[in-house]
Amino acid sequence: MAADVARTPILELEAVSLRFGGVKAMTDVSCKVYPGELYSIIGPNGAGKTSTLNCISGRYRPTSGRILHKGRDITKLGTSKRADLGIGRTFQNLALYSGMTVLDNILIGRHHLMKVGFARGMVYWFGGAQREETVHRAAVEEIIDFLEIKDIRNEHAGTLSYGLRKRVELARAIALKPELILLDEPMAGMNLEEKEDMARYIVDLNEELGMTVVMIEHDMGVVMDLSHRLMVLDFGRKIAEGLPDDIRANEDVKRAYLGQDHGLADTAVAEAAQ
Amino acid sequence: MNIERFSHLSGNDTLPKLVRHNAQAHGSDIAQREKELGLWKSYTWVDVNESVKLWALGFEILGVEAGDTVAIIGDARPHWIAAAIGAQAVRAASLGLYQDALDAEINFLVSFAEAKVVVAENEEQVDKILRVTAGVSSVKAIIFNDARGMRKYTDPRLIHREVLFERAHQRALNTPGAWDILVDATKGSDVAVLCSTSGTTSNPKLVSIAGGPFIQHVANYCALLDLGPDDEYVSLLPMGWIGEQFMALFQPVVCRHKLNFVEDPTTIMADLREIAPTFMFLAPRVWEQIAANVRAQMMDATKFKQRLFDAAFKLGLRAVDRGRTSAIAQKLVLRALRDRLGFSRLRMASTGGAALGPDTFKFFMAMGVPMMQLYGQTELGGIYCTQRIGDRDFDGVGRGLTDAYKIRIENPDPSGVGEIISQHPYMFKGYFKADAVVSPDLRDGWMHTGDAGYFKPSGQLVVIDRMKDLASTTAGERFSPQYIENKLKFSPYISEAVILGDQRAYPAAIVCIRFSIVSKWAEQQRMAFTTYSDLSNRKEIYNLISGEIARVNQSLPPAQQLRKFVLLYKELDADDGELTRTRKVRRGVIAEKYATIIDAIYSGANEVKVDTEIAFQDGSKQRIRTTMPVASLAAAQAQAKSA
Repeated sequence: MAADVARTPILELEAVSLRFGGVKAMTDVSCKVYPGELYSIIGPNGAGKTSTLNCISGRYRPTSGRILHKGRDITKLGTSKRADLGIGRTFQNLALYSGMTVLDNILIGRHHLMKVGFARGMVYWFGGAQREETVHRAAVEEIIDFLEIKDIRNEHAGTLSYGLRKRVELARAIALKPELILLDEPMAGMNLEEKEDMARYIVDLNEELGMTVVMIEHDMGVVMDLSHRLMVLDFGRKIAEGLPDDIRANEDVKRAYLGQDHGLADTAVAEAAQ
Repeated sequence: MNIERFSHLSGNDTLPKLVRHNAQAHGSDIAQREKELGLWKSYTWVDVNESVKLWALGFEILGVEAGDTVAIIGDARPHWIAAAIGAQAVRAASLGLYQDALDAEINFLVSFAEAKVVVAENEEQVDKILRVTAGVSSVKAIIFNDARGMRKYTDPRLIHREVLFERAHQRALNTPGAWDILVDATKGSDVAVLCSTSGTTSNPKLVSIAGGPFIQHVANYCALLDLGPDDEYVSLLPMGWIGEQFMALFQPVVCRHKLNFVEDPTTIMADLREIAPTFMFLAPRVWEQIAANVRAQMMDATKFKQRLFDAAFKLGLRAVDRGRTSAIAQKLVLRALRDRLGFSRLRMASTGGAALGPDTFKFFMAMGVPMMQLYGQTELGGIYCTQRIGDRDFDGVGRGLTDAYKIRIENPDPSGVGEIISQHPYMFKGYFKADAVVSPDLRDGWMHTGDAGYFKPSGQLVVIDRMKDLASTTAGERFSPQYIENKLKFSPYISEAVILGDQRAYPAAIVCIRFSIVSKWAEQQRMAFTTYSDLSNRKEIYNLISGEIARVNQSLPPAQQLRKFVLLYKELDADDGELTRTRKVRRGVIAEKYATIIDAIYSGANEVKVDTEIAFQDGSKQRIRTTMPVASLAAAQAQAKSA
């Protein structure tokens, strides 16, 4: 990714700090994500990963520091405005409308791209609402095809298995047509097969659809295999950033993970043994 | 018979000629439908003709010549059909590959057939083809249809279909009439299709089928069953199988019924309902699966609905036994069920390729689905013997299509049972790479099928089992393992069964549970379990299956009743060579692979220790160490003792 360094980052955090009363969730976190990258944020529990993602998507407002999107300061922008800029996300805990079908859930993701308002929607056939719906439905069908969820498009989201609901959530985030997509633990709670599928979709998202991906993930095998670069957080501070191989070898990172039942220390030890 | 409807066949003795004819005479009629991105798209005969033309010119550009082979792998799609007919237009043969086949099988077929071009649907298939054709020098080009995930490949033989079509289009513009020249040059005697035999015993053989006779053969079938432009067919079977070559490749071109393709293997049931075909052809295992699904879903229904369902089926089955249908049952439940399954417009529901258990047959008959069995071999054009509409005979497979189809029983024993031998004018041309028809099975023009059967007084042929599979116990009791297996497989809890007992004291069974349904049952019983192996080893499941087998035993003569069984720790799998691709049991492989289990059953042991490895499709392996109990069926033993 050395060639990318010369380009403008699609996302930049400048000394971002976040405090909840006396609790420091993030302290001076800075990083740059370049277009086309698959960038992961890892760290032990409570390290501030989700807080970082929430700051980027606009759910939290940093106590200090700046967030730049393509060089433009978006620190004070609301979530919906950031969605308009092309920043989409999924949630660690599912946030689907369980009483709606998969198709409708994904169509919601297109909402910010729709122009027809209430008045024109009332005269569905004449005001262009029907035409617009057709266009968006087609886009949604492309995503359904991409994520291979054709067989469940008319099912209610609430009746689906956890792994499938995660996939639908990803579909909804893709429907936003984001340039930058934030994935909060896309594989948590999945079985091996579902993880393999999800890993493939994330790579395709990045390579085929050209989206920049920022991902939080606990499965070290997945993170190390997929990511171009990683950032490691511990107690709200950035302790390392770099290529997967560098992170594996990093002493601070090993220490942060030491004593925890975690893959990173194991893989590092296993590789040292080789 | 309205054979005059097929008068256009004279002079049009190849599929390319027929496609051109259909485009000229019925250009705006719908030929195919495909569900894509949630919508049904229709293609007229003009569209099909155009697609076939571009494939043909594309093959010509790639240097495919008369006598070459084009291999095709992927889901059934309009392009599959067009590519096959396009290959025939340059007088090459098309060879359909099973997409779930193992690397070694594909490698064998592609290199043996010396395929010059391989058409693959998507990255998954391309990946496989690149892997297996690394050392196959005959393959000059690999055409892919779906470009997703293809950027990582650099093999110079790869070419995107759209790129090829663009070049073909240029060629068509530059040389007007190129298509007509190609089509006019095709001959009915050309080998149009290479089709692999199922190979229950060995590596598959490639059967060469000439287009001209086969078209006549298919026309005979269409005329017999009055298939025409108003009929709807949904392609669901693997294209590599002769049955689907017959039904999806030739039949729509010959009689112009509409050919529909589902969106995805996972959406079959929903798509079937939307199309509501008038004519279906499925392998027995698919019918069994549908019947099992219906009953599995009933397990989730309320008690009231379950009672209603049971009552309706009781009425329906009683009516079937009397040769009628029950109006009350139809009104209450069955018509709605038929509609739900997409069978509401069904005129004919065919099954073939293997035997369908009589219980499954009756299940659908009771529902009001007009089941018909048919019979055939790859060498004999797939289907040459079928029941007629209204035959309603659940153990027969019908009669020859016309008087030209001759079927005899060779050396019948006193009860009329012997080997089925057949002959007709539209048979195969020969085996690939064998100049003449050299086959130990073909003597004096008669194909010896290896199947045991007899004729009923009504003239219906009855197929019992493979000749060599017919078994007899040491006491001399003859029985058909397949017959008992089919009875067992009607139980929703049993997916596969292998009956043992040839040259043994009594019949016994190796049974595979149907995981989807047994696991649901286990959940209802509040049982905790982990994997297939774990579940199949449970005492509760043994009791459940015991009950199912005891029920089957009641319908068997005492000497044929199963006395012991084991629940196998894994499902039988074509990838492990235990089944053929069309899911017929390979008895030889099973006898060898599970010899210790079989010995344990007959040595009177109470359990078998198993320590083995299972290979999964992704290449990972799992070691299995378990103790399988050998269950005895008390009732059967008691009966046997008293007898």
